[in-house]
Amino acid sequence: MIKEHGIGRRKPIGAAIVFVVLILFAAWTLFPVVWAAITSFKEPGDSYKATFIPYKQFKPTLYAWKDAFVTTRDRTLNSLKNSIIISTLSSAVSLILGALAGYSLARYEYRKWKNKDIALWILSQRMFPPVAVLIPYFLIMQNLRLLDNIAAVMMVHITMNLPLSVWLMLDFFADLPADIEEAALIDGCGHMKAFFYIALPIAAPGLVAVYVLSFIFSWNEFLFVTIFGYQKAMTLPVMIAGSLTVRGLDFWKVSSLSILAIIPPVILAMFLSRFLVRGLTLGAIKE
Amino acid sequence: MAGTFLSNKGVKWAFLLPALAYLMLMAILPLVWTLSLSFTQWDANTMPKPKWVGLGNFEYFLLKDKRFAHDLRFTAMYVGISVSAELAIGLVLASLLSQKFKGKNFFRVVYLIPMACPPIAVAFLWRMMLHPDIGVINSILQAVGIGKVKWTTSPKVAPFTLIMVDVWEWTPFMFLALLAAFQALPEELYQAASVDGANGFHMFTRLTLPLITPVIVTISLIRAIDAFKLFELTFGITGGGPGSSTESLSYYVYLIGMKWFKLGRGSAVSWIFLVILLVFAMLLVSRFKSRELTVKAR
Repeated sequence: MIKEHGIGRRKPIGAAIVFVVLILFAAWTLFPVVWAAITSFKEPGDSYKATFIPYKQFKPTLYAWKDAFVTTRDRTLNSLKNSIIISTLSSAVSLILGALAGYSLARYEYRKWKNKDIALWILSQRMFPPVAVLIPYFLIMQNLRLLDNIAAVMMVHITMNLPLSVWLMLDFFADLPADIEEAALIDGCGHMKAFFYIALPIAAPGLVAVYVLSFIFSWNEFLFVTIFGYQKAMTLPVMIAGSLTVRGLDFWKVSSLSILAIIPPVILAMFLSRFLVRGLTLGAIKE
Repeated sequence: MAGTFLSNKGVKWAFLLPALAYLMLMAILPLVWTLSLSFTQWDANTMPKPKWVGLGNFEYFLLKDKRFAHDLRFTAMYVGISVSAELAIGLVLASLLSQKFKGKNFFRVVYLIPMACPPIAVAFLWRMMLHPDIGVINSILQAVGIGKVKWTTSPKVAPFTLIMVDVWEWTPFMFLALLAAFQALPEELYQAASVDGANGFHMFTRLTLPLITPVIVTISLIRAIDAFKLFELTFGITGGGPGSSTESLSYYVYLIGMKWFKLGRGSAVSWIFLVILLVFAMLLVSRFKSRELTVKAR
């Protein structure tokens, strides 16, 4: 089925123009990433020159990558490890809490505060500015002696991702029929069992999507990590910022580190391609 | 409403409470604490304890502090121009491309890249490319005869540099969201309009636009709330400069609280910021409220 909206049926010449627009927009979108990839294979001297074609215009080297994985190996691997641990665990916790709360809001009726009010209150937690809680978090983490500790970063990332997780899981569960769980409950199945053995497996695609989305947000987060994970608990985004030195920005270094930090979330986003828009629009647009 | 689902009170609270408790503890309590600190002066570098100053901090920011007024104006301008530009470009692209075409999935994947990238990586990569002397963009502009642009060194240009990067980062999101919205439109309407002899332009202005206006409002609000929190691009591309021409509200709060350790002032400005965002948040939440979102169990 061909859907044509907006500008009626198109002549071949129109289709060609559309294709050119698409290509130009894709080129503009890809350019910074491609340029970073090219620069990451240049020597420091070459990295400050506008040369594009390897072998012809510049001699490709592994200088930047060797610097990251040989010279400053410990720092890079530590940041990578922290990034992986923080994103993996914090998203797992916010998924578990989010799935439980989302399910309860989709299936049970709350009387005193209506389900919708609770859900919207939780969603609104997503919107306040992260800087507004920096000062109390700092004081809390200082008192708990958790500054520069990945536990602090994880606690904060769970808070950041939980509202969206609840909201989207509610959205998923509300779309699924409750019949099977009801039947099971009537047959004497416990509520916990109905949730874990019936509802969760059906909602598996939603669980994966919410987990991956939280993972991406946590992996990409910068502000909280600079404050609660400035050194030992540093993640890749903070390490990227570290390529700005007193001498200026090391182009080769910022390129290789950025490529390293960009690859995992971009690959995950590709798997999630259809859900990404749904997640980022808080479920307002479903593809 | 099935009785089975309603009967078990213990279970329903056991499911909901962990998330609620976590948010109370980690989101509400800190905000209340910030509010109580906002009535104090506490320069943590020199003072061991906060000192009560009443509304002094609020008076300072709202009436005296020119820097706050500037940062608020800059942030508002940044949000306004970025979101409008992203919406306009996204709308043009989506209306051009709403029919099926070859390689759609390829393009979709390409356009997902900017929004999946860590914002701080985006900021530093653009800082590198926009370097006034040795950046690749000025080299290209010079080669084609346009000459060097003072992307990050002129206080007149730098705010628009940040807007350009925001447009790079988020136009694809607007485009993909609008594309999805276009494809959800009822096709029969268009067939009927076409039979009635409506041309493409009329169909777009009389049919498509009114139908997708709710979507446009929702995604623009989402984007505006996000853009208002501008931090990484300021931090990575300009550091707030030149002067304080690209200093966002988030960046100012960060400086006051975490660089100068004026915890009382920082708390007050946090709350002012929070209240400003709350207005947008209420608008957005009210949109979700009117959407049908009922309990599914029958």
